[in-house]
Amino acid sequence: MAALLRPARWLLRARAAPRLPLSLRLLASGPRRPHAAPCVPAARAGPVAGGILSQARPYAIAVEKNNFLQEEPTSHRRNTSQFDWALMRLDNSVRRTGRIPKTLLQKVFDNTCHSGSPGGNQALLLLRSCGSLLPELQLSERTEFAHRIWDKLQKLGTVYDVSHYNALLKVYLQNEYKFSPTDFLAKMEEANIQPNRVTYQRLIAAYCNAGDIEGASKILGFMKTKDLPVTEAVFSALVTGHARAGDIENAENILTVMKEAGIEPGPDTYLALLNAYAEKGDIDHVKQTLQKVEKSDLYLMDRDLLQIIFSFSKAGYSQYVPEILEKITHERRYIPVTEKLEDTAFQILLACAASREDHLSDFGSFFLRHCVTMNTPAEKLKDYCKKLKESQMHTSPLQITLQCALVANKTDLAKALMKALKEEGFPVRTHYFWPLLAGHQKEKNVQGIIEVLKAMHEIGVSPDQETYINYVFPSFNNAKSARAVLQENGCLPESTVFSQAELRSEAVNGNLAYILSFLESNTLPISSSSLRGSLSLGFRRCMDVNLWSKITELLYKDGRYCQEPPGPTEAVGYFLYNLIDSMSDSEVQAKEERLRQYFHQLKEMNVKITENIYRGIRNLLDSYHVPELIKDVNILVDREKIDSRKTMQLPSSVLESTLEKLKAENQPIGDVLRQLILALCSEENMEKALQLKAKYESDMVVGGYAALINLCCRHGNAEDALNLKQEFDRLDSSAVLDTSKYVGLVKVLGKHGKLQDAINILKEMKEKDVLIKDATLLSFFHILNGAALRGETETVKQLHEAIMTLGLAKPSTALSSPLVTLYLEKDDIGAALDITIDCYEKYKVLPRIHDILCKLIEKGETDLIQKAMNFVSQEQGEMTMLYDLFFAFLQTGNYKEAKKIIETPGIRARSTRLQWFCDKCISTNQVEVLEKLVELTQKLFECDRDQLYYSLLKLYKINGDWQRADGVWNKMQEENIIPRAKTLRLLAEILRNSNQEVPFDVPELWYEDEKHSVNPSPSHAEINIQKDLLKACRQKKNKDAHTIFLKAQKQNIVLDSETYSSLIKLLLEKDSLVEAVQVKEFAETHIKGFTLNDAANSLLIITQVRRDYLKEALTTLKMALDLKQIPSRVAVTRLIQACAMKGDVESIQEIQKMVNGLEHSIGLSNMVFINNIALAQIKNNNIDVAVENIENMLTSGSQTMEPQYFGLSYLFRKVIEEQMEPAFEKISIMAERLANQFAVYKPVTDLFLQLLDSGKVDDARALLQRCGAIAEQTSIFLVFCIRNSQRPGKASTLKSLLELIPELVEKEEVYTSAMKSCVLDKDAVSAKVLYENLIARNIKLNDLLLKRYAVLLKNAGEPVPFTEPPENVNFYRKQLRESRKDPL
Amino acid sequence: MAASAARGAVALRTKIGRPVAFVRKIPWTAASSELREHFAQFGHVRKCTVPFDKETGFHRGMGWVHFSSEEDLQNALQQEKHIIDGVKVIIFLYIITNFLYISRLEVSNDKDLGKFVTEVPLILVKEWWW
Repeated sequence: MAALLRPARWLLRARAAPRLPLSLRLLASGPRRPHAAPCVPAARAGPVAGGILSQARPYAIAVEKNNFLQEEPTSHRRNTSQFDWALMRLDNSVRRTGRIPKTLLQKVFDNTCHSGSPGGNQALLLLRSCGSLLPELQLSERTEFAHRIWDKLQKLGTVYDVSHYNALLKVYLQNEYKFSPTDFLAKMEEANIQPNRVTYQRLIAAYCNAGDIEGASKILGFMKTKDLPVTEAVFSALVTGHARAGDIENAENILTVMKEAGIEPGPDTYLALLNAYAEKGDIDHVKQTLQKVEKSDLYLMDRDLLQIIFSFSKAGYSQYVPEILEKITHERRYIPVTEKLEDTAFQILLACAASREDHLSDFGSFFLRHCVTMNTPAEKLKDYCKKLKESQMHTSPLQITLQCALVANKTDLAKALMKALKEEGFPVRTHYFWPLLAGHQKEKNVQGIIEVLKAMHEIGVSPDQETYINYVFPSFNNAKSARAVLQENGCLPESTVFSQAELRSEAVNGNLAYILSFLESNTLPISSSSLRGSLSLGFRRCMDVNLWSKITELLYKDGRYCQEPPGPTEAVGYFLYNLIDSMSDSEVQAKEERLRQYFHQLKEMNVKITENIYRGIRNLLDSYHVPELIKDVNILVDREKIDSRKTMQLPSSVLESTLEKLKAENQPIGDVLRQLILALCSEENMEKALQLKAKYESDMVVGGYAALINLCCRHGNAEDALNLKQEFDRLDSSAVLDTSKYVGLVKVLGKHGKLQDAINILKEMKEKDVLIKDATLLSFFHILNGAALRGETETVKQLHEAIMTLGLAKPSTALSSPLVTLYLEKDDIGAALDITIDCYEKYKVLPRIHDILCKLIEKGETDLIQKAMNFVSQEQGEMTMLYDLFFAFLQTGNYKEAKKIIETPGIRARSTRLQWFCDKCISTNQVEVLEKLVELTQKLFECDRDQLYYSLLKLYKINGDWQRADGVWNKMQEENIIPRAKTLRLLAEILRNSNQEVPFDVPELWYEDEKHSVNPSPSHAEINIQKDLLKACRQKKNKDAHTIFLKAQKQNIVLDSETYSSLIKLLLEKDSLVEAVQVKEFAETHIKGFTLNDAANSLLIITQVRRDYLKEALTTLKMALDLKQIPSRVAVTRLIQACAMKGDVESIQEIQKMVNGLEHSIGLSNMVFINNIALAQIKNNNIDVAVENIENMLTSGSQTMEPQYFGLSYLFRKVIEEQMEPAFEKISIMAERLANQFAVYKPVTDLFLQLLDSGKVDDARALLQRCGAIAEQTSIFLVFCIRNSQRPGKASTLKSLLELIPELVEKEEVYTSAMKSCVLDKDAVSAKVLYENLIARNIKLNDLLLKRYAVLLKNAGEPVPFTEPPENVNFYRKQLRESRKDPL
Repeated sequence: MAASAARGAVALRTKIGRPVAFVRKIPWTAASSELREHFAQFGHVRKCTVPFDKETGFHRGMGWVHFSSEEDLQNALQQEKHIIDGVKVIIFLYIITNFLYISRLEVSNDKDLGKFVTEVPLILVKEWWW
C-alpha cells in the first residue's frame, strides 16, 4: 500500500491535485485513504482532505450505485445536472479556499429544496459539506445545520441509503458531536438500512474519541461476526481510543498488533499516536515518533503537523507549538481556527505567511473575518491587525476587520476599530457608518441610530447630507421629528448640513412652501450651488408656479444666496438649465404651460440669464420637442451682456444700418434684408422681424420668409405664420419649405384652433411630396399627443384623420395612440376602449390596449374588460387576448390572476410579446413585475426561459444588483436551463462589476451573436486566423485572404466585422464580386447588425455597375442611404450613367428621389440627372422629349440651374460617341437655337468643345462659323483647357482649339495648359509650335513653363534654345503658386 | 462657478461623446470624494458618482468619473495603474452614444492582441447625469 501511496502523496504534495482533472484528482485522493479517512479522529480530517473527498465521493457513489440512479429514471437528468451544478459551486469553493462559506452552502441547500425532490447524491453532497469544510461555524452549529438538512430533505422525500448515514456519522466525528452510537445503529435499523464497514469504522471512531474502548470493542465484535476486514482506520481509531482512555501504553501496542495482523501502520496511525502524545503534552515522545516516521518511508503532511499543534494547544501546551511549527514546510493551505484558539492559529498564520512566495495579495483576511464572527475582543483583533501589518502580510488589516464588523453590524467593535484607524492616522470616512445606520434603519431602531450619530461625533466625523437623508430620516416620520429627537439627544450639528438635508428631503416631497419659508428666514450661509439639486427636485414635484418664481426671485435678488461672483445671472441661469435638464422630455411637454408662466413671471421679476445659458436651454428644449418654449426663455436673456464676437452672424443692429444705407443709396437690399431677418430670428425678435418684413415687403426673398414662418411658429403666432405662408406662396407657388417648417406650421395652427389651415398644410405636404422622415413621424406623434394631453379632441381626430387619408404616414399604433390618450386622460376608459376598437377596424392597430386594460382592471370594470376581451379574441385570437390580459394583470400587481391566465391550458409562449413586455419593464425599471413575469412563465409551453432571464439580468445590471443576478443564476440551475453564452457573459459582467467572483467559466467567443454583449475573449486559433486574414488584406493578396475566409467558414469561426469589411473591400477592389457578396452574406448572417461602411458600399455599387448588376446596385444604394450613409459621388454617378445607357429613366428618377437632400454631401450636381435623363430618353427614342425638357429648363422663368453651369458635355459626348445621328442633329439644332434665340451660349460651346475633343474638327469649325459667339465664351474655354491639361492624350484637342480660336493662346491659363498637355503627351513638335507662337506674340513666359518645355526638348534629344531654369519643376510650381498668393 | 456653468452649457451641446470613465473594484473604504481626489491629478473632474446600496450601507464597488475634457480622460486611461486606498482599481472608457444611453468601450490589454477595444452594452444613463 505504501507503494501505492507514494505517487499519490507526491501528487498532493506538489499541489498538483487541485489543478488536475477530476479523474486524476480521484486517483490522487482515491487510493490514498480509500477507507481510512472516515475513521480518522475528528481532528485528523483537515478541510482539504475532506474537500477532495467530498468531491470524489459523490462521483464514486454515482458510479458504484448506479442502480440507485436507475431507480429514478425520470428525474435522472434533471438531478444530474442540478447535482453537477451544485458540485461545481461547492467544488470551486473548496478548490479555491479549502472551505465552503456558510452562505454558499445555505444557497445550495435552499435551491436543492426548491427543486422539489432532491436526489440522493445532492443530499450526500450537502451533508458532507457540514463538517470541517465549514470552519466559520462553530462545531455545534455545523451539526445543527447537518440535522436541518437531514430532516428537511427527508421531508421532501429524499430516500436515504447507507452512504447518507455514513456521511452523517462523519459530520458527527468532524464536529466532535456527542452521540450514542447504539442509538444511531437503532435508527438505521428502524429505517431498515444495513450498516456497512464504513459505518462500523466510524462508530468505532466515535467510541474511541470518547475514550470508550468497551463500546469500540463491541462494534469490533459486530464487524468480526460479519466477517468485515479490520483496516488501518480501525486500528488508528483504537490508538486514539486507548490514549483517550488514559492507556497510552496500549495505544502504543496497537501498532504491534497491526503489524501482527499484517497491516503496516501508515501515517494515519502514527498521527493518531502523535496526537495522543500531544494531548498529554508529551513533547519528547512526539519528537521521537516524528523522527521514526521520518526514517520510515512515510510522510507527514503539513496539515498533519498542524493537527498536532492543534492538539497541543487544545490541551493547553501551546509552549510546544513553535517546535512543531519549525517542521512545517509551509504549504499554503489553511488555518484550523476554531474554538477560541485564535492565538495559536495566528501564530501558525504568521509562520505560514512568512514563507509564501507572492507578496502581492493580502494574507489573513479570512482569519480576521473568522475572529469577528467569533466575537473576538476588539483589543485582541487590533493586536492581530498590528502584527499582520508589521509583518507586511496585510496592507490594510484594520480596514478589512472593520468591514467585517460593519457587515456583521457589530457597532461596538466597529467603533473601537475606527478609533484605532484614526489613531494609526488613517481617515475615518462618513460612509463607514452607513452600514451601521442601515442596519438600525431596517428595524427603525431610533436609539441605535442616535448611538451611531453619537459615535460619529465622538470619533470626530460629521454626518453629511446623504447620511441624514438616506440613513437617518427614513426612521422618522419626517425631517422635523428627526430634528427634535436629535436635538433632545444633543446630536444636532451646528453646521448647515442638517438644514440642507432637511431642505432636500422636503424638496423630495415637493414641499416648496417649506423651502420658501426656510430660505426667507434662513440665517445660515448657504450658496445657491449647494441648493441647486434640492431645488430642482422640489420644483419638479410641486405644481405651484408662483412658488417656483418666488423662490427663484429670492435666489436672484437676496444677498444671502448668489451675490458673490459670478453673480445671480450665471447662478440662476445655471439653475434653470439644471432644472430643465433634470426633467424628461415628456415631463417638459406636460409642464409646458407651467414653465411658460414661470419664465414670464421671472421676466416680470426682472430675472436675467446669460446668452450662453440660454443657448444651452434652447438646445435642451429642442431635443425635448418643445421648441415653443424657446422664445419664452429667450425673453430672459441679458441683452447687454451679449458678446457679439462669439456669435457668427453680425448683430442685427449693424445689419440694420447697412440696410438703411443701401436703401438710401438705392442699391439692391435683398441679401442684407435676408441676413437681417435671419439675425432677428436667431435673436427671437419676432416683432421687429415682422415690422421689417412689412417695411420691405417687395424685397423679401423665399429664404427670409421661411425663417420668419419658423420664427412665428416657435412663438406660437399662428396668425402671422399663416399670413406669411400665404405671402410665401404668392411669391413662388412652387417653392417648397423644408419638412420641419411644415411640421411647425401644422403644430402651431393645430394648437390655435386653425384646424382647416393645418390640414391644408398637410395637404400641401402631400402635393409637394415633402420628404417624410422618421423624425417627421415622431413630430406628428408629438403634435397629436400634445393636443391629446391638452384634451383637444377635435384637433387630434381631424389631424390624425388627415394624416391617414393623405397617406403621409402609414397607420401605426404610435400615431393612433393619442386618439386613445384623449380619453384615458379624461379617465373615460369606456370611450378609450371604443376608440381603440375603432382604430382596429379602420387601421388594424390596437393603440394602448395594454393601458386601457390596466385601467379597467384597476377600476374593476368587469363588463368593459369582458367587452375588450371579446373583441380582442374575436379579432386577434384568443391567445393574443390572454396575453393582453396577462400583461395587464401583471402590470397592476394582480399576480394571482396573471398566474391563472398564463396557466390556461393550451397557451404557448409568444416570444415577441414576452419580449415586448420585458423591454417595457426594463425601460420603466419595474423589477418586481419583470420578476413575476419570469416566475409565472416558468411552465409556459415553449417558453424561451433563457431569453427571459437574460432580460431580467439586463434590468439587474441597470440597477447594479448583483445579488439578484446571482439569484437568477441559481434559479436557472433550478429550472435546469442551459444558459446561452450571452446570458452567462452578461451575468459574469454584473458579478465582476460588483467585485464578485464569477462562479463559472465565461464562454469564449470572438464576436458576440449580439452586438451589445460583453467581453469577447477569442481563442488563439481565431486570433491567428483573424491576423492572417488582415495581413493578407493589407498585402492585397485577395486570393489568399479569400482562402483563409473559406477555411474559417468551414471551421465555423466567426471573425469580427472589421475583418470582413476589409476582406470585402479588397475583393471588390480586385473585381471579385461573387466572392465579395459571399463574404458579405456570411457576415450578415453571422454578425447581427453587420453592415458595410460608406466606402465599402460605394465600392460594391461600382463593382455591381461594372458587372451590369444594376438592380442589385440600386438596392445597395438604397440600403446604404437607409443606413444614413453617404455613398461616393463616383458610385452614384456610375450607377446613374449605367441606367442612362440602358434607357432606364425611372431608375434615374428613383435615385434622384433617394439622394434628394444629400446632393451636396455626395457632391452630386443636378446636371448629372439632367444629362442622364436626357440620354436615357434619347436611348428610348424620345429625342423630342429630351430636347424639349432641356430647352424648357433653360428658357422658362424658374431656372433650376444657372445657364452658365448648365453643362451638357456629357450628353453631347455620349451622343457623339454612340453615333446617334438623328439625336445628334436634334440636339445640335437645340444648342444653336438656344444660342441664337435665347443668348444661352453654354450648350453650344460645350457642343463645340465635344466635337473638337472627338476629333471632329471640321464639324466644330462649321459650328463656329454658324455661331460666332462661341469664340467669346472664354471662361468656358479656360475651364476646359485646365481640365484637359491634366489628362493625357489631349494635346491635339488643345492644339485644334488654338487653331480655331487663335487669340485664346494669349490667356495664361490656356498656354500653360497647352504646354502641360504637350509635355504630358511628349509632343515636342506641337510644343515647339506653341512656344514659337508665344514668343512671336511677345508673351513673357514663366519659369515653370520654360522648365517644362526644356525638359521636354531634352528628353526628345533636341537643343534648348534658352537658358534652362536650374531648379526642378516642383520648385517653380511652388514659386509660381507663392507669387499668385502674394501679388507683391 | 462661472467656469462650470459655461462648461455645463458647452457640454450640453456635445452630450454625445462626453468623457466619462467607469471605475470598478473600488475598495469599500473609498467613496466619491476619494475617487475625485485620485482622478483630479489627470484633469478637471466634473462629477464623480459612487452609488451606495441603501439596504446595506455599502457601495457596489463601481463608480463613474465625468471629466471636463476628452484629454483629461485620456490622461487617466493612459495611466497603467490606479491605486485608491492601497487597492488597484480598474478603469474603463465610457462612450455616450446618445442622450439616454451610453455604451462602454472596454479597453483591454491582451498579451497577443495588444490593446483592443470592445463595445459593451447600452446602459440607461439619465440618472447619472448631474
